[in-house]
Amino acid sequence: MEEIGEFIIEYAGRMGAEYAEARVQADLREAIIFKNGILEAYTFEEVKGIGIRVLVDGSLGFASTNKLRKDEVKRVLNRAFKMAKASSKLIKHKISMGRGDLGSDKVIIKPRISFTSIDPEARISLLKEADEEIINSASALNVKVPARIMEMNTWVTEKLIKTSDGANIYSVTPRVALFALITLFHPQRGSIQRYINLGECGGWETAERWNISRIFSEETSALSRVLMEATKPPAGEMDVVLGPELVGISCHESCGHPSEADRILGREAAQAGETYLKPNSIGLKIGSKHVNIVDDPTVRGSFGFYLYDDEGVKARRRVLVKEGVINEFLHNRETASVFNVESNGSSRAVAYNREPIIRMANTFFLPGNYSKEELFEDIREGIYIKSFMEWNIDDRRFNQRYVGLEAYRIENGEIKEPIKSPVLEITTIGLWSAVDAAAKDLEFQAAYCGKGDPMQGIPVWTGGPHIRLRRVRIGGGGIES
Amino acid sequence: MRVEEIPTYIVNLGRKYSATDVAAKLVESQRVMIRFSNNEVTVSKVFRETTIDVFIMVEKHRAVTTISTLSIKDIEKNVKNLVKTAKMTPPADVYAPLPRGPFTYNPELLRAPEVPLDPEILSSYVEGAISAALESGAKRAAGTLNAFKSKIILATSGDVHASQESAGLELSIRAFVSDVATGHFISIACRPEDFNPEEAGRVAGEIAKAADNPMPGKPGKYMTLLGPMIFADFINQVGVLSSAFLVDAGQSFLVDKIGEEIASRKLTLLDDPTLVGSIGSRAFDDEGVPARRKAIIENGILKTYLHNSMTAKKFGVETTGNAGIIVPTPWNLIVEPGNKSFEDLLSQIDDGIYVTNNWYLRYQNYRTGDFSTLPRDGMFKVKRGEIVSSIGELRISDNMLRILQNIIDLGRSRTWVRWWEVELPSLVPHALISEINFTKPLI
Repeated sequence: MEEIGEFIIEYAGRMGAEYAEARVQADLREAIIFKNGILEAYTFEEVKGIGIRVLVDGSLGFASTNKLRKDEVKRVLNRAFKMAKASSKLIKHKISMGRGDLGSDKVIIKPRISFTSIDPEARISLLKEADEEIINSASALNVKVPARIMEMNTWVTEKLIKTSDGANIYSVTPRVALFALITLFHPQRGSIQRYINLGECGGWETAERWNISRIFSEETSALSRVLMEATKPPAGEMDVVLGPELVGISCHESCGHPSEADRILGREAAQAGETYLKPNSIGLKIGSKHVNIVDDPTVRGSFGFYLYDDEGVKARRRVLVKEGVINEFLHNRETASVFNVESNGSSRAVAYNREPIIRMANTFFLPGNYSKEELFEDIREGIYIKSFMEWNIDDRRFNQRYVGLEAYRIENGEIKEPIKSPVLEITTIGLWSAVDAAAKDLEFQAAYCGKGDPMQGIPVWTGGPHIRLRRVRIGGGGIES
Repeated sequence: MRVEEIPTYIVNLGRKYSATDVAAKLVESQRVMIRFSNNEVTVSKVFRETTIDVFIMVEKHRAVTTISTLSIKDIEKNVKNLVKTAKMTPPADVYAPLPRGPFTYNPELLRAPEVPLDPEILSSYVEGAISAALESGAKRAAGTLNAFKSKIILATSGDVHASQESAGLELSIRAFVSDVATGHFISIACRPEDFNPEEAGRVAGEIAKAADNPMPGKPGKYMTLLGPMIFADFINQVGVLSSAFLVDAGQSFLVDKIGEEIASRKLTLLDDPTLVGSIGSRAFDDEGVPARRKAIIENGILKTYLHNSMTAKKFGVETTGNAGIIVPTPWNLIVEPGNKSFEDLLSQIDDGIYVTNNWYLRYQNYRTGDFSTLPRDGMFKVKRGEIVSSIGELRISDNMLRILQNIIDLGRSRTWVRWWEVELPSLVPHALISEINFTKPLI
């Protein structure tokens, strides 16, 4: 890796690049797809190649290849230079790389149990047991499970980043992820579906610690109860307690994405869209004083973990919203230059053949001072939404909808019967302004965040504590028929 | 060894290591992408890649790998490891041998037209599209130009040795008159002479201009005209979720619906990879089976799921030539046209909405088809057959099967659609839906 990385920087410099960045990346991955109790596929692969960025006359060029040879590097660099030069006539504002705390370091996360020491049978048996738990837990409540699909991925990302201005970062990061979609069915009550996403940075010990069978059993029992017992939710204005899963996705969608500086500048306008925030929105009040939202790549073991970003800039916690006020945007070196600030290390690429762009890492609502019980205590009538299935937000990140999956009615401070598909359809300011309390707990949820063209689904955590919303409107009944 | 010989070499190697079935697909690809926003290029990208997907079965035991090096030593190591891994896995529920060739393929589908990858030509496409959007009244434009060439070389233990080229040009452009008045359009083509980036820019600019000064929309149920971009997204949902693999996984509203009238009789949806000169054309699938035209929905009736040989065996039917070695996939989604002009369709709406585009479609339940999505890029209130104002803030919150059943009419002219939000090439008209449910936040 070192030799080819050096060659790229040296050759790009000889060609006259104002800036050059070489990323040599190998993702060694194993995956199992398990459907309805049967192994559908066992896959393994090594995705290895080079991603290069160069600045030529203020025009940015990216090139990738999976042939790690010097003649190939020359070939793709020559093309990238030609493309960047041809495009420079369509550039009025020259791109430059701004300030950043560039590192020279090695970050090697050593798994306690290496993936290579785990044979296919051990991986498969973990999912087989979980699958049996789903069936058993559902049948205890007279519910059928006509379909379930699970995919478990383990992979190690080995990466070398070198830049012409001195960054030099070598990292090795193992990750484990489990995705599942479960369908529960009852002939008279219809069906209900649930996504389960688990993901962390770590070795096989992570998968063992999760206790997947227990998670699936608990989820299936709770959802079977929702399927069999849920009633129509109350409608109208009411107090609502959101669980960490809802809080996490809301932070990600209506706070994290809008704070991406490239989006603020319009770079994603034709794909993932723009944002309600403007370059001068620092200091804008979007919520109550109880709202504190951060994005932090440095959380050990997190799915979005890194200590240096893909431009070699040292990572740190970013306080996006402080006491309800927009505090900081997510920057890479390009946007740092435009905003005349220092990059806060938000540049990420999902594979060698993807351009590094501004991404979230682990976005979460900071815990408050209340116990979880206290949030419920003074609610006379309201609802508690613990998990969700359907969600979306408009491309300015202001109009969002979350449809509850596991949800309950609250009466006089107590959690009562399950309710079916309560709809929280709300503006970003409406949502965050309604927060009057946050609990002390903190939970995270794994996700793949989509952005970029070509698309890059990148590992993140979303999370937070339980929070309470006062007087928000619940649509009621999910889809109207 | 020549690159062309590698897949056959892998098949022989796999057989030598006692695999019963082997498929090796080598893909050589090169792509150039220019991204732009605020009327300026933000980055230009060059991608070159060669990968080999290898699928091995030892009777009911199977495993898959992707090899990204062409070194014979690495290939041998990977294939040996793959056979060993397959033997360690528990048996699948069915064993379907890879389809037996040799097959005959349409030679016209094996070759692709020349597309330009020259930087000057590609940047002139971008310049033309931006200029056309601005001339139509837009203040700024953003988008992506894609030019690509690729070659697939496939060999299987079923005596398949075939290769196929593909190529294309795609431009997606979003025009802005203000932050909330936008229009989006695309041009996709295999042949440069069919590629019209300026027309895409012009249409995007015109939609954006018409969308200026949007008023808040009122939630409710409306007769709705869907433009080709949003209708293509809905058709993609049907096409993708007709994959037998996803049906089996419960990830589809088409479960247990074969033979049923799931849509209006006006709707006939084909998967047609045999259209020469189209972006999604294929001569053969990933098992080497000749790709063929088939109706997924014919006059409203669900005719088939999409199969590879494995899912076909499981469902007790024949493969439809849609392998995906694990997950069957459509190639080219084609909606048969109606006989109405855009004006005819609009004139049928007394009090309704015209939606040009959407994004972020998510399901509450795949099995029932309950979902919501956000209209974007020009949404208009229609009164007595005429567009009267631009509207915003609404969300489509409905059910996919209900929308398919509520198709009243289809336009006679069609547009090829593929862009960031619509994965599969789709040839679709405007669609008039008798009733769609719109919701919005009230705080």
